[in-house]
Amino acid sequence: MREQKVKILENGPIAAGIYKMRFALPEKTDGLFCGKFVNISVGDGAHLLRRPIAICERCEENDLQTVTICYQLKGAGTQAMSRAKVGDELACVLPLGNGFRLEEGQRRVALIGGGVGIFPMVSVLKEYAGTGKDFNSYIGFRNRDAVCMADVFSSLSARAEIVTDDGSFGKKNNAVAAFLAEYESVKPDVILACGPTPMLRALKAGLKERGIAVPCYVSLEERMGCGIGACLVCVCKKSGKEENARVCKDGPVFEINEVEI
Amino acid sequence: MANLSVNICGVNFKNPVIAASGTFGFGKEFNEIYDIGVLGGISTKGLTLEPRLGNPTPRIAEGYGVILNAVGLQNPGVDVFLREDLDFLKSKNIAIIANVAGRTIDDYAGICAKLDGKVDMIELNISCPNVKCGGMAFGIKPESVAEVTRAAKGALQKTPLIVKLSPNVESIAANALAAQKGGADCVSLINTLTGMVVDIERRRPLIANNTGGVSGAGIKPIAVRMVWEVCQAVDIPVIGMGGITCAEDALEFIIAGARAVQVGTANFTDTLAMPKIIGGLNSWLDNHGIADISEICGVLRLNG
Repeated sequence: MREQKVKILENGPIAAGIYKMRFALPEKTDGLFCGKFVNISVGDGAHLLRRPIAICERCEENDLQTVTICYQLKGAGTQAMSRAKVGDELACVLPLGNGFRLEEGQRRVALIGGGVGIFPMVSVLKEYAGTGKDFNSYIGFRNRDAVCMADVFSSLSARAEIVTDDGSFGKKNNAVAAFLAEYESVKPDVILACGPTPMLRALKAGLKERGIAVPCYVSLEERMGCGIGACLVCVCKKSGKEENARVCKDGPVFEINEVEI
Repeated sequence: MANLSVNICGVNFKNPVIAASGTFGFGKEFNEIYDIGVLGGISTKGLTLEPRLGNPTPRIAEGYGVILNAVGLQNPGVDVFLREDLDFLKSKNIAIIANVAGRTIDDYAGICAKLDGKVDMIELNISCPNVKCGGMAFGIKPESVAEVTRAAKGALQKTPLIVKLSPNVESIAANALAAQKGGADCVSLINTLTGMVVDIERRRPLIANNTGGVSGAGIKPIAVRMVWEVCQAVDIPVIGMGGITCAEDALEFIIAGARAVQVGTANFTDTLAMPKIIGGLNSWLDNHGIADISEICGVLRLNG
């Protein structure tokens, strides 16, 4: 991980309340990988905490290394971020966290994403594109206005099911229910998921109820302080232990049974 | 190059910039970003006799120019610190301050006895606002400040004792004096101010603990005023903190009388904040033709 000033190449809306920002890294940075995140300043001086945001895509062309992140406008901090202009510099530490790693034998991969949780799934698809993995994606949005990157899921997955809570785009369903309905026919070797806590809870309950023992890795979200593992602000409980894990340093990706959700 | 080194209670700090407790863990993570050997010292994450899990999440929120936290003293316990973290800090050749907390007077004495002679200084956290029954309770009244200080001091043969003071009190100067009377070798201030942030949609406090400790740039003028008041009241050295973000902020505290400063929240805003502050102090002193930082300690002149 390195502290650096990244230079904005692109920053604009891609769906209702969702912005995409692409920036260039001034220093050669190793270890960028799907499922890791960046901790980036919103750049206004009034917000002292950085915003931890998952890497959506990374790119290396010639000597230019770029990272794309997507973020939801939630409060004054992300509003300030959305006003950053092309050419502006923001302070950023990256890459952070452990990330999603697929083993050789894990060929059939189910991806489950909800809301802003779809962006780490995009990073997985891009990272493993052309490596012989067989992806089945189950992606949920609130409604048609929130839909974005559907084409990425369609083009890089063997099958992509895009659903919305209200049925205004795709079927009216949620990502977890869509996955569970197809589980028997897909039989994935591994499941990767990211989304709101209720979604991850539903996934954990659904897997338990059906006795599905396939490895399942989830990326957790928690309000963070330092983002590098020092301050113990973003913790979750380890299952069956009187012990916490740090979401920023030990995660954000955990085996679903390893932590309480 | 000005001389930035300071000596507090016989302990040498290569510069007056110390990582504040709770924002810096035991140093290992920040050391992945820069060599923490450049710092004057580190005050460790608050230690207790037994491991603690801390509060539920969310543990952090923001206000304008400030943050609030309620971590609740999560820590692995003093034995794990001694076994797994102390050697790393020693290898960095910086002053090591063990920040300690307890539920009872005996806890404070017990943990001080365990650390005596093993660290450079001990900082008594009697002012943590985020833990029920413990810490804060001792930090409010001068009588209990003196009592817990006496008990801690009684358990220490070798290591100098700092008492960290709460700003959430009637008179911080009176409490500083009580700490001095109880045998404290040094005081540090200010700990966080108790605050609350409300999520208006959910109509609930944003932090799971409801209230949290307010820190960051926005509290600095309050902290400087309190450091100045305490410097007038006591003869022992004072370590100042509260909202320090840059070298100029640190200088305000030093001019008001602080011998050294601690930096906390700024580490979240910029992981390189402390090395930048150290560099900035050097430049400022050089630009002003001041050869030694001690020359400007406590030189504040009041108006009128």
